[in-house]
Amino acid sequence: MPFTAKSGKFNAKINTVEVGTGDKAIKLGGENVFPFYTFDDAIENAPKVGIEITDGGMENEPECVQNLYEGCTTVVDMAKKAVTFDGVDFLSIRLEGGDPNGKNKSTEELIQIVKDVADAVDVPLVVCGCKNVEKDAELLDKAAAALDGKNAMILAAKEENYKTIGASAGLAYKQIVGAESAVDINLAKQLNVLLTQLGVDAKTIVMNAGTAAVGYGFDYVISTLDRVKAAALSQGDATLQMPIITPVASETWTVKESTASEEDMPEWGNLEERGIDMEVETAAAVLAAGSDAVILKHPESVRTIKAMISELI
Amino acid sequence: MMEEKNVTLFDVIFKGNDAVYGLTEKAIDDAIAQYGADKAVAFPDTAYSLPCYYGVTGTKVGNLGELKTALGVVKSLMTRNPRLNDAFMSGIATALCAEFIEVLKYVDNAAPYSEPCYGHLADAVIRELGVPLVTGDIPGVAVILGAAPTAEEGVALVKSYQAQGILVTLVGGIIDQCEELGYKTGANVRVIPLGKDVTAVIHVVSVAVRAALIFGNITPGDSAGLMKYTMERVPAFVNAFAPLDEVIVAAGAGAIALGFPVITNEETFRVPKSLIVQPDVSKFNATSLEARDIKIKITNIDIPVAFASAFEGEIIRRGDMQVEFDGSRVDCFELVHTKELSEVEDHKIEVIGPDIDEFEVGSKHSIGYIVEVAGKSMQSDFEPVFERKFHSYLNCVEGMMHTGQRDMIRIRISKDTFNAGFRVKHIGEVLYAKVKSEFAAVVDKCQVKVITDPEMCTKLRHELAIPMFDKRDERLTTLTDEGVDVYYSCIMCQAFSPSHVCVVTPERLGLCGAVSWLDAKATNELDPQGPCQVITKEKVIDERIGEYEDVNEAVRKFSQGALEDVSLYSIIEKPMTSCGCFECICGIEPLSNGVCIANREYAGMTPIGMTFSELASMTGGGVQTPGFMGHGKHFISSKKFMKAEGGIARIVWMPKDLKDQVAERLNESAKELYGIDNFTDMIADETVVTEDPEALLAFLTEKGHPALEMEPMM
Amino acid sequence: MALKGLDIFKLSPKKNCKECGSPTCMAFSMKVAQGAVSLDKCPYFSEEAKASLNEATAPPMKTIKVGTGDKEYSLGGETVLFRHEKTFVSRTRYAVTVCSCMDDAAIDAKLAEIKSVDYERIGERMFTEMIYVNYAPAAGKEKYLELVKKAAGLDRVLILGCEDPEVAAEAVALVKDQKPVLNGANASNYEAMSKVATDAGVTLGVQGADINELYDTLAALEKLGNKNLIFDCGVNSVKEAYQIAVQFRKAAIKDGNRTCGYPSIVRLDRLSGGDKHLQAALLSLFTMKYGSIIVLDQMTYAEANPVYGLRQNLFTDPQKPMKVEPGIYPLNGADENSVCLTTVDFALTYFLVSGELERSGVPCNLIINDAGGLSVLTSWAAGKFSAGTIAKFFAEQDIEGKVKSRKLVIPGKVAVLKGELESKIPGWEIIIAPREAVQLVKFMKEL
Repeated sequence: MPFTAKSGKFNAKINTVEVGTGDKAIKLGGENVFPFYTFDDAIENAPKVGIEITDGGMENEPECVQNLYEGCTTVVDMAKKAVTFDGVDFLSIRLEGGDPNGKNKSTEELIQIVKDVADAVDVPLVVCGCKNVEKDAELLDKAAAALDGKNAMILAAKEENYKTIGASAGLAYKQIVGAESAVDINLAKQLNVLLTQLGVDAKTIVMNAGTAAVGYGFDYVISTLDRVKAAALSQGDATLQMPIITPVASETWTVKESTASEEDMPEWGNLEERGIDMEVETAAAVLAAGSDAVILKHPESVRTIKAMISELI
Repeated sequence: MMEEKNVTLFDVIFKGNDAVYGLTEKAIDDAIAQYGADKAVAFPDTAYSLPCYYGVTGTKVGNLGELKTALGVVKSLMTRNPRLNDAFMSGIATALCAEFIEVLKYVDNAAPYSEPCYGHLADAVIRELGVPLVTGDIPGVAVILGAAPTAEEGVALVKSYQAQGILVTLVGGIIDQCEELGYKTGANVRVIPLGKDVTAVIHVVSVAVRAALIFGNITPGDSAGLMKYTMERVPAFVNAFAPLDEVIVAAGAGAIALGFPVITNEETFRVPKSLIVQPDVSKFNATSLEARDIKIKITNIDIPVAFASAFEGEIIRRGDMQVEFDGSRVDCFELVHTKELSEVEDHKIEVIGPDIDEFEVGSKHSIGYIVEVAGKSMQSDFEPVFERKFHSYLNCVEGMMHTGQRDMIRIRISKDTFNAGFRVKHIGEVLYAKVKSEFAAVVDKCQVKVITDPEMCTKLRHELAIPMFDKRDERLTTLTDEGVDVYYSCIMCQAFSPSHVCVVTPERLGLCGAVSWLDAKATNELDPQGPCQVITKEKVIDERIGEYEDVNEAVRKFSQGALEDVSLYSIIEKPMTSCGCFECICGIEPLSNGVCIANREYAGMTPIGMTFSELASMTGGGVQTPGFMGHGKHFISSKKFMKAEGGIARIVWMPKDLKDQVAERLNESAKELYGIDNFTDMIADETVVTEDPEALLAFLTEKGHPALEMEPMM
Repeated sequence: MALKGLDIFKLSPKKNCKECGSPTCMAFSMKVAQGAVSLDKCPYFSEEAKASLNEATAPPMKTIKVGTGDKEYSLGGETVLFRHEKTFVSRTRYAVTVCSCMDDAAIDAKLAEIKSVDYERIGERMFTEMIYVNYAPAAGKEKYLELVKKAAGLDRVLILGCEDPEVAAEAVALVKDQKPVLNGANASNYEAMSKVATDAGVTLGVQGADINELYDTLAALEKLGNKNLIFDCGVNSVKEAYQIAVQFRKAAIKDGNRTCGYPSIVRLDRLSGGDKHLQAALLSLFTMKYGSIIVLDQMTYAEANPVYGLRQNLFTDPQKPMKVEPGIYPLNGADENSVCLTTVDFALTYFLVSGELERSGVPCNLIINDAGGLSVLTSWAAGKFSAGTIAKFFAEQDIEGKVKSRKLVIPGKVAVLKGELESKIPGWEIIIAPREAVQLVKFMKEL
């Protein structure tokens, strides 16, 4: 007697959100099954993989990543190089230099970088803020304006600044609005509701429901993502049917497993390998929990995750 | 009444409209004569053609011939019945004519306006201004029309709006008045002179219309949707200085049609909430804000010392103290009092009695402060919710210590803080700023009275404060589950207990003990998307155990399907779930046919054979565990406490400490429900029984505990 | 639906005899319902009651125990599909593969590598718990048996990968006291393999050419009375292995299909095609989705650090936050004169705060209080993080004897503790930190 499984296909599905324009545009979401459950139903849009660069150019990159961008002197050089790596679906630029507690670069300077990068590549763009909510409001508002017509993703509006970023990215410039909340399904839902009440089209919202490196409170990430997908699919909760994007690189490349030098931790072995595996294992775990896209830093991680996705879909 | 006048407002509007129409028609005809009908006509830097006409009709105008056709459409709006709709349409027609006249200025002239006037504003400017408008960072848009009685008054008005972050647009004489006094204008300072002709006012209307198209996703031509959007989402208003001519009045009708009230200092017709006469120009600001319901965000607190949570735990010792107000010795109180909107003047701080510098160092005095609030959505049920925050507000002031509540407060102010200039009125400033900013959703206006006059404190304490406190307590005790129409969900702790949902009712507060029905109600009003949502209770399934179809639906929704149904009053049948943060937990003790309650602080064993933490680990996590339930301390004395199983008479054991805390109210309830005196004496505690159910039974038998006589629970 | 404690209690003897170790029958029943103790602990339940309860309380997925002593591991026994529903009970275990096809040098190197990863993370020893010893017929039986013996010397649970019943019998005989897993039953040999496994009392791993054959073979083995089984998700493709792992788990837990209710074994050594990073990715994927044993080509610190962290996160009680050990954590090369900061032992708080402090580069001593593993505000509200508890902790840990600095930074969210702390631990300057951890870098630099 052959094995018969009950179907795990749902009537509800995740919204399909297109990012970017032209041939290189990507579609996130659209699935009506749990992550990679292709045996329940076909998954139309495989999860997407982005590569991340920052406004700091080579400066802030780990040595192993710098080696792969050898010869690049500007952020634009890096952007051009980044999109040539195997498996890259989109490019993410993180404006971490804007942080008032850090370099505190001016909005004008950063927006110029965003513009230059946008002119240099044709893949879909994601612009990430600097994590400071006030500065992000200003920065991402201007980024949305600067990328008018590019259908870029602005990552992200948070509860504290959703009005500005939602109005700018979602209403004024019709970009894709990233909605970021801190590992709590109810906060994620609330932010989606607030954004839609503001007038942002729900079909243009992508969630970052929170992230962490594995081992670092990642239990909350798993449960939040699991629950969001369950609510969206099995409960048909339209306020949670936005696809999920998870910036992985910014979490994994700062933990000690990825930063402690080989001199300090000789038994741990090769630093680059540690960095890649931390990134790859975190990315695989968020994809298994329901993320529709991940943002990575190391080109080898991008290739690997892309390979894993194609094995599964 | 306007009908009683010889000339009605309708007559004025129609006449003004006709005049403008005549001018427009002539201007278009002249232009066609000069350039030909094919001559292109457009505003620069916009994708919305003639934005107002395009927004209202959905039709783009590309050349003079089409403009002439468009004028025909405008004419069709100009019906002449003395009805409100006709007046509004004529107002819109006037505005559209103004747009036509203005666009003609751009024919063969790329820059018809010169410094300081802007004329038409580009789409980029709208997008840029639109974002802060949507977020409320620009709380309003003022359109100032004409010349103020004096240049000083005009500039003062502009300045007052600018200080509030309001975007100011200027048309006509006011522009010259600003120049005359050298007042800086420009988009960067958010004071934008549009033009000196009255028709230039259309450029701000064009902003409102394009905002609706861009930010409101309004389809061009959907004039009803457009007007609804401008009414609800564009917080603009008009200040029109006397003298008003017919054209201005007609244009004003257009503004009113879009939802923008007109405030003027000319004695003219009055239309409630729309055409408002305010003879005193210095009050234009307040009148306008109230008419358009604009709330200004409070960003800083005007006190001479720091305000931060870092000072919350500061202790001021006797030696460092400048002065003390002590409710345990003299009459003191703090109070939130709901008033009518007309009774409250926003940001009025009144000090009644001597100030701190008149007191001896280290002396004790009376104080009373009344925060009077008014708002369309304000309810007196919120008063205690605000009041409970005073403790935290006042403690955040550097060098100020506040303890207690109601009429048992004590406040100390340090010498350093006094020396920095802190006075009694600053208490008012703090309370005003915090209440206004944190409760902006319901508080439209707020004023504070700080009373240090001892006699007045005594009088107000006894005649105002205590009766109000009593009334509130009365309301709390008389609030019953049956007496209200809705309950509230609370999912504040779902981060820890993913499927847990508290159903908060008047007689059953959240199991953490921190969320009463009134709190949940206030939370819901203040944060409608927040953790507390309204649950109706219209469809009863079972009165006895308190099961409702609508409650079940809500629980299903908020638990994301993890919970199917709950009862409100039973611990055996579909009991409510428990998160991890309950104050107490009760569980069945089978031998005595009752329940034991353990509170979180109690570390010992219970007669059930489990400690609090063992009970908690089995009951928590949002799972239904029949026979066991987490709850708040106050719920113990509730008449709804396991009502389905016979109520509080089932309580056979609880730790002594807890018993002492709830004794008074529990005994009251027992007396009322069963006529039992001193019920708590019948309840065992750890001083008589810790873990042996037999010993518990013996104790209960000796005391004649009612549970022994009740129906078996299982 | 799992049985409620009250239903069990109704059938209990209600004697409160304490013979089961619980003080009352109610307490016992609640523990049984929770799965914390077995019904068999009570000698007084009627046979009838036991039978009906056993049927009802039997888990949808069997718990299979392998290994012995402190290396005994429970596999399976899960009752839910997602960790937020209820704690996952049996951690995924990891095995590294050695094969008799490898030369001796390679084998020795591999075994040495297995031993090299061994460390502690938040109170848990992390190491490769199992070795997969693969039989290559071409290398001969003797070499395999030697390899089994050698691997057995590492004190890890062995998984004997062998499809030849005769060789398997000999290999199992060498190590059966260690309770290894014998992985090699399939549609054509299952009867013989089952006999080898049951005779030796070891768990049998079952393989199939596809999901249906696997299912049928499991059913056939159950028919033989062998329920000490593990199923192998196969080596055909990642996609199929994932399908088997997920669908069998779902079928067991959601649909009550007991034939699927066994732990799984996932052969990443075969599925990763020699791509070590892909193997790392899949390691994480199958830890998340239902791998009970995952077999790898290699487990170095690069793979181990993240996956053990992931496992630790995944297999925690969703209601009970993870805790870190209370004590003093010197950061950035702090010494006894460095400024002190204090916060709670909630793991997430600790990681956030220590991460930001490390980013600041400022040497400091992070003093972690025993606050019941709750977050700052929660523990404060519960009275577990108050001036009193901090003072008590300082006394118990002799903080003043261990550090000389008398500057103590407390979380901004509990600024309210300042005054009381000043009187409870006199001599300390109490400084208020910002409310959010991200603001710590700036704060520390300016301190």
